Amino acid sequence: MSGNTRRRGVGAIKTKTVQASKFKEKGTELASEELEKLSTQLNAFKNNLEDFATKHKQQIKKNPEFRGQFQEMCASIGVDPLASSKGFWSEMLGVGDFYYEIGVQTIEVCLANNQTNGGIMKLDELHSKLLKSRKQDVSLSDLKTAIKKLRSLGSGFQLIKAGKNFFVQSVPGELTMDHTIILEKAQEKNGRISKSDIGWERERVDRAMDYLVKEGMTWVDDKANERLYWFPSMFSIE
Amino acid sequence: MKQLDTWCSLILSYYKHKKWYSLDVAESETSELFYNRSIDRKLNLDEIYVILEELRRRGNVEWEDKRRNRCLVMWRSPDEWAKLIYKWITERGMLNSVCTYYEITDGDNSKNQEFYGLDVWLLKRALQCLEKEGKAEIFESDDGGVKFF
Repeated sequence: MSGNTRRRGVGAIKTKTVQASKFKEKGTELASEELEKLSTQLNAFKNNLEDFATKHKQQIKKNPEFRGQFQEMCASIGVDPLASSKGFWSEMLGVGDFYYEIGVQTIEVCLANNQTNGGIMKLDELHSKLLKSRKQDVSLSDLKTAIKKLRSLGSGFQLIKAGKNFFVQSVPGELTMDHTIILEKAQEKNGRISKSDIGWERERVDRAMDYLVKEGMTWVDDKANERLYWFPSMFSIE
Repeated sequence: MKQLDTWCSLILSYYKHKKWYSLDVAESETSELFYNRSIDRKLNLDEIYVILEELRRRGNVEWEDKRRNRCLVMWRSPDEWAKLIYKWITERGMLNSVCTYYEITDGDNSKNQEFYGLDVWLLKRALQCLEKEGKAEIFESDDGGVKFF
């Protein structure tokens, strides 16, 4: 009895194994069919996108809003035509260097103003300075993308968010949370702030301000009752 | 301190823009350079001296008198002026001939040159640089003359 059961048991296992492998076979077959279908679809989509891109090349280059939408569409299938200078996309569109170009111009503008503002500049100011020197329109989001790409060059370039505004930092060195908060508070005060305006305990505010002064991001003014700190990145020179 | 650097470069760019070559400390105190009326801020004498001393350390400023009332401002070094002048002389084929100081800094032919209007003391310094290199010889006379080689 027990032998019989065992034989049946072995038979059952065998059958199960056969079944499993058949299922697997079918499964792979189905999956590869699916994959094939998908890749055909994807290819069709890519082809359409390419046609579209070639057709609207000029607009992609000139119109920032259009460019944004186009890029979103591309990102959904995993291509980033504006970011790379290699491969089909850039050859076809000639737009691969787009962010590279903005990046270089960003560096130029920032360096030219580093001595005055200590290496921080409002994104808006950078934007308007860039627009003056370029023929093509550049949106704020293009600019942000370009600056983020500059990050790969090292810690020299980054975007800082202080309150509602963005600042571009173009010198090495990390700003701490405290520095960012001070930037934010200084903005509310039109770029001029005193230590008591900040309202922290002595040591904390001293340490933060000393750094900002040393880096030239703020200027000391002892002509008022209390020492004032002026942020050259925040006031405009008429 | 970065703020001091900024002041130094501001003074030099301002003087370059104005094509000025000397500064009277007392006068400068109320000039737009050190007194910004629109924000009601001015530097006091001590602060002006700190900046001018820094410029002196860097070789851009020299005191004209011991009491530090006036100073010479060099936003371009005598050596750099010398090169510009020598280049101009060479281009005009004026080597081996004598010309006056006036021709160089105020003549019709140098109107579009950067050294047009250059102060005499600075011109002399520049020419002395050239003399040292054997490229010029200065004639001491009332008008001042120089021969280039």
